[in-house]
Amino acid sequence: MSPLPPSTTLPPPGARNRWVQRLPFLSLALFLGAIAALVWLTREYDADEQRTTLLNDVLWMEQNLRFQLDRNEIHLQQLGAELFAGTSLSPQTEASLAHLLNPERGLVQILWLAPDGRLAGALPPRPAEAAGGNRAPTPATFELARSVGRPVYGPAYPATGNAHHFEVHVPLWSDESLLGVVVGVYSLSDLVVRELPWWFSERYRVAVLDADGREIAAKSKVAPLSPRLAYSMSFDPPGHGLTLQITAYKSETRWIPLLLGASIVLLGGIIVWSVVQLRRQLSRRQQAETALRTESAFRKAMEDSMRTGMRARDLDGRLTYVNSAFCRMTGFAAEELIGLKPPMPYWDPERLEQTFEVHREIMAGESTAEGTEVRLRRKNGEALDVLVFEAPLIDAHGRHAGWMGSVLDITEQKRAREQARQQEERLQQSSRLITMGEMASTLAHELNQPLAAITSYNSGCINRLQGDELDPAELLDIHQRIARQARRAGEIIRRVHDFVRRAEPRREVLDLNAVIRDAVGLIEADARKRRVSILADLAPALPPVAVDAVMIEQIVVNLVRNAIDSMRDTPASRRRVEIATAGDDRFVTVTVADRGSGIADEISARLFEPFFTTKPEGMGMGLNICRSIAELHHGRLGFAARPDGGTLFTLSLPVDLDSA
Amino acid sequence: MIPACTHIIDDDEAIRDALQWLFKTRGVACRAWPGGEAFVDAWQPGWRGCIVLDIRMAGMSGLECFDTLLARGCTLPVIFITGHGDVPMAVSALKKGAFHFIEKPFNDHDLVDLVEKALAADAEHQRAAASRETIEARLAPLTSREREVMNLILEGKYNKVIADELSISMRTVEAHRSRIFDKMEVRSAVELAQQLTILRD
Repeated sequence: MSPLPPSTTLPPPGARNRWVQRLPFLSLALFLGAIAALVWLTREYDADEQRTTLLNDVLWMEQNLRFQLDRNEIHLQQLGAELFAGTSLSPQTEASLAHLLNPERGLVQILWLAPDGRLAGALPPRPAEAAGGNRAPTPATFELARSVGRPVYGPAYPATGNAHHFEVHVPLWSDESLLGVVVGVYSLSDLVVRELPWWFSERYRVAVLDADGREIAAKSKVAPLSPRLAYSMSFDPPGHGLTLQITAYKSETRWIPLLLGASIVLLGGIIVWSVVQLRRQLSRRQQAETALRTESAFRKAMEDSMRTGMRARDLDGRLTYVNSAFCRMTGFAAEELIGLKPPMPYWDPERLEQTFEVHREIMAGESTAEGTEVRLRRKNGEALDVLVFEAPLIDAHGRHAGWMGSVLDITEQKRAREQARQQEERLQQSSRLITMGEMASTLAHELNQPLAAITSYNSGCINRLQGDELDPAELLDIHQRIARQARRAGEIIRRVHDFVRRAEPRREVLDLNAVIRDAVGLIEADARKRRVSILADLAPALPPVAVDAVMIEQIVVNLVRNAIDSMRDTPASRRRVEIATAGDDRFVTVTVADRGSGIADEISARLFEPFFTTKPEGMGMGLNICRSIAELHHGRLGFAARPDGGTLFTLSLPVDLDSA
Repeated sequence: MIPACTHIIDDDEAIRDALQWLFKTRGVACRAWPGGEAFVDAWQPGWRGCIVLDIRMAGMSGLECFDTLLARGCTLPVIFITGHGDVPMAVSALKKGAFHFIEKPFNDHDLVDLVEKALAADAEHQRAAASRETIEARLAPLTSREREVMNLILEGKYNKVIADELSISMRTVEAHRSRIFDKMEVRSAVELAQQLTILRD
């Protein structure tokens, strides 16, 4: 696990970011617009092209028709000379006529009329009219042609079937005299159908409309036509209000541009869709990012505000993470700690071994749920008591990656507990003192009464003796009273003694070592505070003793406390109280040795005197009580100076022979 | 008149008995009381003498007894007998007007000497009280005008000045003056002043 970087600040989703988000949409819109414009332009261009082609084709067709008509006029004129030259037609002429009547030329009939308008001949012959008269089919046209002397076209008229015909009248002149008029009858539909080449009729529908707009001939009956591509022009010749209408067939679908356009539209759609998807994903990501940022800030705040120190270690015991509470606790900065291996700089240098032991236990996974109490040292040297709870650290892959420890600062609690204990002790001591004081005061008062009475009687007696007024009976009476008061005083003292006797020890057969261990436990905290180590060298198998555990405990505590007090001026390295037990078949001895200032000779003589003390706050009862207890147990309390400084106190207790 | 007597108040019979014997051998009249209650019940305003009072007693304590007596107007001098622990109490009693205190165990002669002193003090007090009574008795018949004149005399003013101040004649002042002197049984203004000083104490 690696620590979070101190400030993981992602840029806020600001105005710039919004622009960046909109840019793809904008460019996409522009792109689609451009594509649409391109497609439209292409289509326009295409349509223009088609129109131009149409115009070209139409013009070509018109010209073609005109040429045809012109060519026919010339043929008719040439034929006319032969038609009017003789009465019978030469085979050559007939062949020419037949050739001329080819449906491809549009002509269905050729008539030749005399200058007066009589029908001179016709090919093919006209059955009905041949019987009816020799009139020109349309006299007005004939007249016009005769008078203007040039070929004249007549109006279209309905013929048999649905066909419409029109005529061309070609006057023939020979030296100022009219030879006759050759009339070519055109079938409109033949002209339109046959005259135009196949490719034209495939692309266009050609229709001929009369002056009223009615369709009188058409190349095709197929109706669905593109109305957009149509062209009308007057059909002249023959004229007379005839109109040629050319309409382009709906041209075949132009697949490539269509596919191109469609694919562009499709691709555009895909792009829009993908951009929308992208955007959706982006916003989801942003949401996730915001959530992550909030979460991260929350965790960071939580981590910083936590009072519990957290530290993570890898499997080698190397520190990989510490939180700010831990740094505050130890006084080291995180950079100073991360990556370090034990021994840590915040370990108490005086308890390195113990701390190592705790460390090894934790690394072996032997940490308990109640936590382990460890004494550490802050960077500034202050002592720090902590309670460590260790838990295995499992990484994202489920592997055991190290250890996570939460560290609680219990220095204050410990101090408070210690103070409370001392307070309690002082309270008990002072309450004992008060009780004792009260008892002593009552006792003094009680004793004062008979004593005061005795002195008063005595003073009176002296007065009498000085005044020479001796009355033996009176004096006897008074002395009897004096004796009564003296007995009363004695009685009081006996009562006191009885009271004291009631506090006999409650003896039990005990393991003395256990009693001593308890006593050491009671005073250990105090000793540690004063930098004194207590060394207990207890004999493994002591003979049994019958003692009052509380009383013996009190002796040991008292002796150890005295030992600690006596080493006030001893250098710290030598401050050590050694407690040892030993036993033989008669006595069990407990020795408490110190390296203190020793006991001066004049003091040693008074050491067990009641109310004698060398301590300013002492009461002078401690050693006295200890000796009393020892004697109550039929044991002894003694002391001796140690040759290389210090004092050795020895408590010996007789072995309990009954239970041995 | 009731003879002076030393009252021993102590709940301890032996002490009472021993002290009575002691006082007897020194010729001091005494009477013993087994407790404060008994004494307070029996006490009469005319009693003379002194009280030896133990502080620590069963029932009513010495201090309570003292307070009760003070409240009832008893002026007998009180000597407290006190144990070691009661000294502060005794001192505070002293401030309230107790005659003395003596700490147990005490020297019997000292106690008897103190008792004698107390008896003398009471006698002196008695005398002073008596003369005060006499003077008050003499002052009683003075008229208000005579008191006025007397106050001016005590201020040391001459007859003439007194006459001016009170707008009366010199002769009238002199008449008042002689009447005052007669009633107060004095011969001079100085004697008059002495008498009134006793009263003021």
